[in-house]
Amino acid sequence: MTTTRNRIHTERHDPHWIEWLTGILSAAVVVSLIGWIGYEAVIRDGKPPELSVTMLGAERTTSGFRVDFEISNSAPTTAAGVNVTGALVQNGEVVEESTVTLDYVPAESQAAGAVIFSIDPAGKQIRLQAKGYGDP
Amino acid sequence: MDRQESQGSGEAQDEFNRFVTGLARGVAGALLFALPMLMTMEMWYLGFYIARERLLLLMLLNIPLLVLLSHRIGFEETFTWREAVRDATIAYAIGILTSAVVLYVFGLLRADMPISELAGKVALQSVPASIGAMLGRSQLGSHDDDEPDRERETSYAGELLMMAAGALFLSLNVAPTEEMLVLAYKMTPWHALAIVFLSVALMHGFVYAVSFTGSHELSPETPWWHAFVRFTLPGYVVALAISFYTLWTFGRLDDTSVTEILLSVIVLSFPGAIGAAAARLIL
Repeated sequence: MTTTRNRIHTERHDPHWIEWLTGILSAAVVVSLIGWIGYEAVIRDGKPPELSVTMLGAERTTSGFRVDFEISNSAPTTAAGVNVTGALVQNGEVVEESTVTLDYVPAESQAAGAVIFSIDPAGKQIRLQAKGYGDP
Repeated sequence: MDRQESQGSGEAQDEFNRFVTGLARGVAGALLFALPMLMTMEMWYLGFYIARERLLLLMLLNIPLLVLLSHRIGFEETFTWREAVRDATIAYAIGILTSAVVLYVFGLLRADMPISELAGKVALQSVPASIGAMLGRSQLGSHDDDEPDRERETSYAGELLMMAAGALFLSLNVAPTEEMLVLAYKMTPWHALAIVFLSVALMHGFVYAVSFTGSHELSPETPWWHAFVRFTLPGYVVALAISFYTLWTFGRLDDTSVTEILLSVIVLSFPGAIGAAAARLIL
């Protein structure tokens, strides 16, 4: 509890036990936060982003054929401006290519996106690949 | 005219004038505090893509916050909860109207936009604007109520709530910007650790060491770490929680790993901690 007199606040000397309990719990939270980040700081290496693209499904839309994908980054470094290219392959030949740029794929995280084709991908091979990225 | 009657109408006139002044201060406060957000690109976009249930939750949580703030600092000495609710409602309305007008004059609200986009943009901005309106009505007013002998006690929960309000206010300012994420992506965990220590130290220093008006004192027999454990650390945890909440509201944490979430939360808690400390001094 705090007393305000002449706009000066004075903390009570004999606080309720709840103040100490909150304080101790908060200290535990802050210490575990520091512990977690400290552990990460020690074990993390500067490994560059490692991206893998997984196709989630294809769907016909008014603007063409949408192929949804998820891209995950297993490295402890964030990739920015990630270029993902989707290619429709028929008989070993690329019939159509679509590219999308994702702003970020954070470290050890996922991001989702989609490429849109004008040709129906049914019966063709869909190849999704991350083509490049920059540092954030 | 009967003398008593004229006196009565004079008082009513006075009351009315004070009410209008209060409204004007509210608008001034809303503008002063919310303009940075009204002029932030991400806030306009969030207006249409923010998850609707998260926006609703934010708007609902704003109501008790305004009422509690009003009860504490309302521009008239708000004694009853009924008056606090009335003042909070007015502040919310001022926030909504001010946001709508400013967004409109910036050309961000147009008749050909879907209703959900218009409503989303105004609703999102109305939260900081209403807090600004509430603060404006009290802080921009004259402090004739500061009689030298006035003594009041703030409960522990009240102190934590004020810190939450301050943290929320500063967090809302910066949480929607892309910079929060970029900072978290760019820095290493070592940087994050440094920010944690800096935030806590600044928070404690702001409130106890630097002698601003409204500073907090300890009774001479209380060791410094008493206040550190009882107020500063809980205050920092409140700032962490608030920054997590605002980042979550704006959808900045979705699909992200625990460590990246913690880094973003720590970055945003830096202004949050300053806000929390400032609130203890000002409110």
